[in-house]
Amino acid sequence: MKMTRSWDRAFLHKGLGVRRILILAILSGGIWAFVQLDLNPADLVPTSGGVQVAWAFFSRALSPAIVYEAEFVPSDTPPLLWKALQAAGTTVVFASAAMSLALIWGLLLGFLASSSWWVGDPAGGAGNVTAFVRRSIAPVVYGSTRVLIAFMRSIHELIWAVLFLAAFGLSHLSAVIAIAIPFGGTLAKIFSEMIDEAPRDVAHAFRGSGASATHVYLFGLVPRALPDMTAYSFYRFECALRSSAILGFFGYPTLGFYIAASFENLHYGEVWTYLYTLLVLVILVDWWSGALRKRFVV
Amino acid sequence: MSDRELKLRYLRSQRPRSRFAYWSALLLLVVMIGSWFVGDFQVEDFLSERRLQNLTRFLHELIPYPLQERDFNLGIALKWAGEILAEKGWSAMVVTLAISVAAIVLAGFGGAFFSLPAARNFTSPEPFLPSLRNPHWAWRFLWRALVWMTRLFLIFVRSIPEYMWAFLLLAVLGPTAWPAVLALALHNLGTLGKLGAEVVENTEPSPLSALRGLGASHLQIAFTGLFPLTFSRFLLFLFYRWETCVREATVLGMLGIVSLGYWIQDSRARNHYDEMFFLVLLGAALVLIGDLLSSLARETIRRFS
Amino acid sequence: MMWSVNEGNRKSQGRTSSSRGASFTLRKSSVVFGSTVALDSVDLHIGSGEAVGFVGLSGAGKTTLLCLLNGTVRPTGGTVQVDGRDLATLSFEELRKVRSGIGFVHQDLSLIPNLRVLHNVLAGRLGKLSFWGGMRAFLFPQRRYVHQIHEILERVGIPEKIYERTDRLSGGQRQRVAIARALFQEPVGLLADEPVSSVDPARARSAVSLLTEISREQGLTLCVSLHNLHLAREFFPRLVGLRAGRVVFDRATEQVTEDEFEALYDLNGV
Ligand SMILES: Nc1ncnc2c1ncn2[C@@H]1O[C@H](COP(=O)(O)OP(=O)(O)OP(=O)(O)O)[C@@H](O)[C@H]1O
Ligand SMILES: [Mg+2]
Repeated sequence: MKMTRSWDRAFLHKGLGVRRILILAILSGGIWAFVQLDLNPADLVPTSGGVQVAWAFFSRALSPAIVYEAEFVPSDTPPLLWKALQAAGTTVVFASAAMSLALIWGLLLGFLASSSWWVGDPAGGAGNVTAFVRRSIAPVVYGSTRVLIAFMRSIHELIWAVLFLAAFGLSHLSAVIAIAIPFGGTLAKIFSEMIDEAPRDVAHAFRGSGASATHVYLFGLVPRALPDMTAYSFYRFECALRSSAILGFFGYPTLGFYIAASFENLHYGEVWTYLYTLLVLVILVDWWSGALRKRFVV
Repeated sequence: MSDRELKLRYLRSQRPRSRFAYWSALLLLVVMIGSWFVGDFQVEDFLSERRLQNLTRFLHELIPYPLQERDFNLGIALKWAGEILAEKGWSAMVVTLAISVAAIVLAGFGGAFFSLPAARNFTSPEPFLPSLRNPHWAWRFLWRALVWMTRLFLIFVRSIPEYMWAFLLLAVLGPTAWPAVLALALHNLGTLGKLGAEVVENTEPSPLSALRGLGASHLQIAFTGLFPLTFSRFLLFLFYRWETCVREATVLGMLGIVSLGYWIQDSRARNHYDEMFFLVLLGAALVLIGDLLSSLARETIRRFS
Repeated sequence: MMWSVNEGNRKSQGRTSSSRGASFTLRKSSVVFGSTVALDSVDLHIGSGEAVGFVGLSGAGKTTLLCLLNGTVRPTGGTVQVDGRDLATLSFEELRKVRSGIGFVHQDLSLIPNLRVLHNVLAGRLGKLSFWGGMRAFLFPQRRYVHQIHEILERVGIPEKIYERTDRLSGGQRQRVAIARALFQEPVGLLADEPVSSVDPARARSAVSLLTEISREQGLTLCVSLHNLHLAREFFPRLVGLRAGRVVFDRATEQVTEDEFEALYDLNGV
């Protein structure tokens, strides 16, 4: 029904005004950006050194290294594949430690930031002081929580990592916290939106049977948003894996560290081994969340 | 044991439940808690005397340099901020923004393009129609192979993080803005392509089958049917991804492209933490502005489509 | 049994005043939403243990009236009394207590689709539990609650569905879950808002008959809003006709004339 309507519309060229404006805006934005950055397609042809690197690098895509490419390897180094597995393990450990923190404060802040947590009872009694207090402090609480969330989110995890590096020195925990802060903020934002957008019928019914506001929230609203929240958390876990891999560029022993090292030593086969390891990790999580979603969301 | 208890036990044992979900939850719990034991996260060390001293020194150095030895004075603070802005902050912000816009435009075109061969219902010998002519199995297999190749490509470009793409491309392309733009564009192309394919697969097929019934080719269906039907939803995703592009563009500078990240790294290397912090805040402001613009755009699209 | 079942006529007749059901009194109650007057100065008394049917066109104010009775809508004028107590004078906690004694079967059922039947029914008891009590009951349901729920589900006819996910049930079965939830509140009053709108005629009839039977057994006060005149006449000894927010008639079913019904459902002049 709805589809047919937009179908009709598309053919009647209604609503194409807005569409045309948006396309024009995007295109002119693109042109501005290209001019601003001085992006010349000619520069896309690699420099002569670049061509060699590119060839050497991409030609190994189908033949990633199985053993070290270096001629001399210290005798106590583990085999390459084992090392790749270890790096993958560390990447997972960093990511899941960060996610466990992010989930905790994502849930806490998400609850505080959702406005439905605070909605008082529309039909409170006469001298309903609690409802009044609740209603008057609500905007302050969820407003300030949202500002906090925005701040946490707006700084990229790598920048948090740089800040922590400067503040504490190299410490594994600071890498975990660096990921956990923006991820917690994002989770909190999305969770609060999902809960606020969940259908209200059940909450209304629970309130009508005398349930307290907290129960209404926890059992009437949150369960309705839960499948979406789970799916989103998985997606963030996938992102956390990537971020944790990247942190290797800053000296942490995750996949990024070995990728950078092998690349700089021109061991391109090893680079591909590590890249494929990351690929497998991401695909696994992706498949896992997809399989779970099939069972959760109907 | 009462009769009811027996019945309930039986019902409970028969209750539909997913072993997969159960074990998944358990595994997740184990991994999340276990990571704190396996990983080398020394909490005591983190809160040690040495680190805390380091932290206090760091916090002190966040105060703008001209103000460190005297009382607060707004005029001096503003002058200090203005100088950084004029010298590098402003142009770095513009570059950061431009990188994100250029990247998302490229990613948008690429994602829209690749979402077609990645959609199973479109990429078949008879798109959106039950097969009337029953094509040869080899022919069908080729189409199916195209779908899987595209998906493999999309998931590959998507699972390599932007920062890593930029690192690799920088070595190949040399120090222009291209590595940053391409890195962002590639990763987001992967995401947009996947999301776009889902949009195409979830589109109500009846108008499209009607078109096919009229004898439209793949290209004609794509332009006259799919494009108008899926455009708004695709735009929603585009703006949503643009938000993350702005975030990522701030850090790509750390690899040497003159966006905000470059100056952040630079001032850190010179131990000018006050300047670094100011630039970080500029980046945060830019990201927030991006968020705001993106949510405004998405609101408009929702309203008018 | 406090009262005799008349085989030929299902309607409850003389209910004794000793029944434990709640009583409701509306005095000049009005509800105004912005510019729409949903209820206009309604006077109504529903005695303990009565079974009343509310009839009227869509938008006549049936839902609003039922919501007044359990205190989820506040009258903009007049008063609402439950068991003689004015809801507007109650404290928040007292109001919750009153509500927890009134079961409400919603028009759209308001069930959580992705939870099991057990939990949906359990939610009916939340109003009587403390914060931790509610948490405990929801996360690790006590055996006596499970038994009680099984018993109630037996009564409404779907005991074997107790561990089923609610969205796997049919429309009629879901309706029974909603009724079970209201019953698990251990209510003294039962309100049902168009319990027949989402199911086929046979199911509709059995749902209404179930509601009347149960409230008769347990001595509950029953208020049901209905579109279906036949059902209303068959099952309710007293009918209240609503039109554009006003009570048009309010008397024993036999005394409502055909003309009055016609006038009630006359689309002209709305
Ligand atoms: N929350 C609300 N806000 C604004 N107007 C409302 C609200 N609830 C009800 N109304 C209005 O009050 C009037 C009565 O509504 P009510 O839902 O009580 O009718 P009803 O008899 O239950 O109708 P139906 O048979 O369709 O359920 C209607 O005109 C409706 O538009
Ligand atoms: Mg209604």
